[in-house]
Amino acid sequence: MKVKLFKIIGLGLLSFCLQAAPKLPKDIKWLSNDTDPVYASPDAKKGGTVHNFMTGYPITFRFVGPDSNGSFRSFILDNQFALIDVHPNTRNIIPVLATHWAFGSDKKTMYFKLNKLARWSDGKPVTADDFVFNLEFMRSKHIVAPWYNDYYTKEIDKVIAYDDHTLAVVSMKAKPDLHLTVSLAPLPRHFFGKLDKNFVKKYNWKIVPNTGPYQISTFKKGKHVTMKRKKDWWAKDLRYMKNRFNVDKYVLKVIRDSNIAWEHFKKNKIDFFNLTFPQYWHIKSKIPIFQKGYVNKIWFYNDMPQSASGMWLNQDRAIFKDKNVRYAFAHAMNVDKVIKKVLRGDYMRLQHGYMGYGEYTNSSIKARKFDIAKTKHYMQKAGFKRGADGIWKKGNMRFSVEVTYSAEPHTRRLVVLKEEAKKAGIELRLQKMDGPTMFKKFLEKKHDVAWMGWSTRIRPGFWEGFHSVNAHKPQTNNITNTDDKEMDKLIDAYRASLDAAERIKLAKTIQKKIHDVGCFVPTFMVPYVRRAYWRWIKLPEVPGTKWTESMFDRPFDVTTGGLFWYDPKLHKETKKMMKANKSLPPITIVNERYKMKI
Amino acid sequence: MRINPLTIKKFKRFKSIKRGYYSLLVFSFLILVSLFGELLVNSRALLVNYNGRLYFPTYGQMISGKVFGLDYDYETNYRDLAKRFKEDKSDNWVLLPMVPYNPFENDLKDDKYPPFPPSFSEKHYLGTDTIGRDIFARIIYGFRIAMGFSFILLLVNYSIGVTLGCLMGFWGGKFDLFFQRMIEIWANVPFLYVIIIIASIVTPNFITLIIIMAMFGWMGMTWQMRTTTYKEKAREYVLAAKTLGASNTRIIFKHIIPNTISIIVTYIPFSVSGGIVALTSLDYLGFGLPAPTPSWGELLQQGWANMNAYWIASSVILAMVITLTTVTFIGEAIREALDPKLHTTYE
Repeated sequence: MKVKLFKIIGLGLLSFCLQAAPKLPKDIKWLSNDTDPVYASPDAKKGGTVHNFMTGYPITFRFVGPDSNGSFRSFILDNQFALIDVHPNTRNIIPVLATHWAFGSDKKTMYFKLNKLARWSDGKPVTADDFVFNLEFMRSKHIVAPWYNDYYTKEIDKVIAYDDHTLAVVSMKAKPDLHLTVSLAPLPRHFFGKLDKNFVKKYNWKIVPNTGPYQISTFKKGKHVTMKRKKDWWAKDLRYMKNRFNVDKYVLKVIRDSNIAWEHFKKNKIDFFNLTFPQYWHIKSKIPIFQKGYVNKIWFYNDMPQSASGMWLNQDRAIFKDKNVRYAFAHAMNVDKVIKKVLRGDYMRLQHGYMGYGEYTNSSIKARKFDIAKTKHYMQKAGFKRGADGIWKKGNMRFSVEVTYSAEPHTRRLVVLKEEAKKAGIELRLQKMDGPTMFKKFLEKKHDVAWMGWSTRIRPGFWEGFHSVNAHKPQTNNITNTDDKEMDKLIDAYRASLDAAERIKLAKTIQKKIHDVGCFVPTFMVPYVRRAYWRWIKLPEVPGTKWTESMFDRPFDVTTGGLFWYDPKLHKETKKMMKANKSLPPITIVNERYKMKI
Repeated sequence: MRINPLTIKKFKRFKSIKRGYYSLLVFSFLILVSLFGELLVNSRALLVNYNGRLYFPTYGQMISGKVFGLDYDYETNYRDLAKRFKEDKSDNWVLLPMVPYNPFENDLKDDKYPPFPPSFSEKHYLGTDTIGRDIFARIIYGFRIAMGFSFILLLVNYSIGVTLGCLMGFWGGKFDLFFQRMIEIWANVPFLYVIIIIASIVTPNFITLIIIMAMFGWMGMTWQMRTTTYKEKAREYVLAAKTLGASNTRIIFKHIIPNTISIIVTYIPFSVSGGIVALTSLDYLGFGLPAPTPSWGELLQQGWANMNAYWIASSVILAMVITLTTVTFIGEAIREALDPKLHTTYE
């Protein structure tokens, strides 16, 4: 009798569940992308081992929680693929774990069909439930990661699993560029099980199953980590993954000092080296291994969002209240001379604060150039006269401003600017400060001119830096104290808009507006990477993508990583030449395919 | 003014110590040169003869390029002006200083990157630093700043030290006890750390740096003066003066301090060299005077970072060796000349 009762209750529950099971809306339109250009080389061969270095050993292999935010984490996270990503050149959505996707009419929901081939590294299939688990995981108090807790609570509403291979991710609010928010990565429920308060300790050195091309195979704490290619990787034949992730093993050795790493590189104990610093590119690389052609140099221009670095004028200072004075200041900064004569022409002039954002960038804006006549024109317009010492004066106001900075290497640039500005009648007083103290001073708006750069993101943001709600008060990023009603209107509209075309138009207008306010003097950008590599490492004809930050140091990145491969024949040949001390023609590749036009 | 025969004797004695005496001559010469540095090392010309009128640009306000018929408002580039006059073959001429560069300007070239090695034709006698500034100019002006710094620091330290030390020794008792303990505590504050912390919050300028250094530098002299005053106070002449009804002020200023002056003078050269070394090392570490102040420490730092540009490190090291040796030799000679043992009746 009892058994029967249970059965009935059980059946009842089951039918209840079935009734409550979510249903996929009928009217959705599935999208996919198998037409964008591929960027890997068809000549790529699999195999080989490459060595690179890191300056410290990771404190943990956990990717969330205390001490997890080290530089090694990207090697783990890059192997945790997400549902979709964006093509590094076209910025269109490309399939990764999902084969198809669709947008909900509420502008908050995106639907995904999972690739049925997708497997965890332990062989278990990836299911929609693993995405549901991701949300549970990220919201759990046990992972001790308040930022993730907060983000996944406030930004993501829920994940709905329709069946094993169909799901929806719902954002909290309607958003422009929804796909950048809701493309979650799965986490293996079968591996983690139920989380408890021992999570942090328990998973310190656990190797979590992943979906990417590589997995940690061996490691020796304090010495090295080896990551091994999965021979039978589920995604190896996908359109945008084919011919990529080629080497069998990627070994990261701990070398705590980059000067010592350079010696390792010269002895071929590591295969790549960062030559972005002029010192290395121009001087230190004048050694036999380069001159004899055993090592190649590459200078690859990319096209990514550039840090808005330069001089930020505090408009609450009496001297900078007048627009003419701000323009005059900009025309008195001889940035081009610094680039040409101090930085060896290696850097490029930043034209404005939002370069490299693709169609969101207003490329018609040009930075104000050094021009003493223009400075004179604007200063006279503002009612100033040159004093006996050559500096502009008006009443008891003298055009002498403090430039606050923190990086010692920048002193060389600033002293040249200072001398040139003096010619234009402006005195710069250089003030070097400790990094955090400097930043505090800026946030409290106690500076005249702030010499700094902001970090970038995927789309330009204006509210923090230029909206009047953030002006005239401490601890906001509006360090220029820009307070302009029209600007506010534009920024509010940009933030409220969900329409990409409208947002692009507004972004461009705002950039023009910022240029007209003249509170920012853009200085330098470094839109390229420079590397040295032993010649048996091969790269595609176009060695990177618009968003390539390094050809070798982010080898697992889902969109830009793993384009290089190892050529055993060339390796043997080069070794022979080295033994015989014979020279090869030295090779320096300069690739300007994606170089920004200025 | 009559000079005390004893003092004359001391001077003679000092003069007879050749090493110290010549060091004094060299050192005074260096100071003299640095004081008139603008006449020797400067981008401004000493004399310009333009259309029959003479100009003396060295001191005073800048003369704009327009005055000499050039097309700009800012300060005239006299090196270019000299070249131009020569090319024009006019009667105009420019008399440039020995080194026609100031310590701030960047002499950059189109095809090469600094540091540039020493060159007589370009009048960079010691080469340029990593941003193309003349090293000789930076050494001369850096010397002047270092000397000014250590003399002012010395003045501040000694005024505090002598006053407080005298009072401690003279009054004794609780006043002495209190300051003894205070100095003991204060002396334990790690001075370099404090400067580093302060320098990271505010960029120190000349005056704040002196104040910070003086805050930790007054104790040595105070200690010394306290002991000496104690000793002198117990002498019969102080007792005699007291018996005759002399006031405390009179006793201190007329009797005690003149009798301790030899000790103070002996310490001066060593404090001067200490001041130079302190400023240089702070600049070297990047916690000294703000850029672009000419400074030996900053040059030393550049030299260290660019060992292949040997002329940077070698120039500044040579300059430091010369200065510190001469100062030390002077100090030794003074000490010997003032040694009380040589002035006893048994001589």
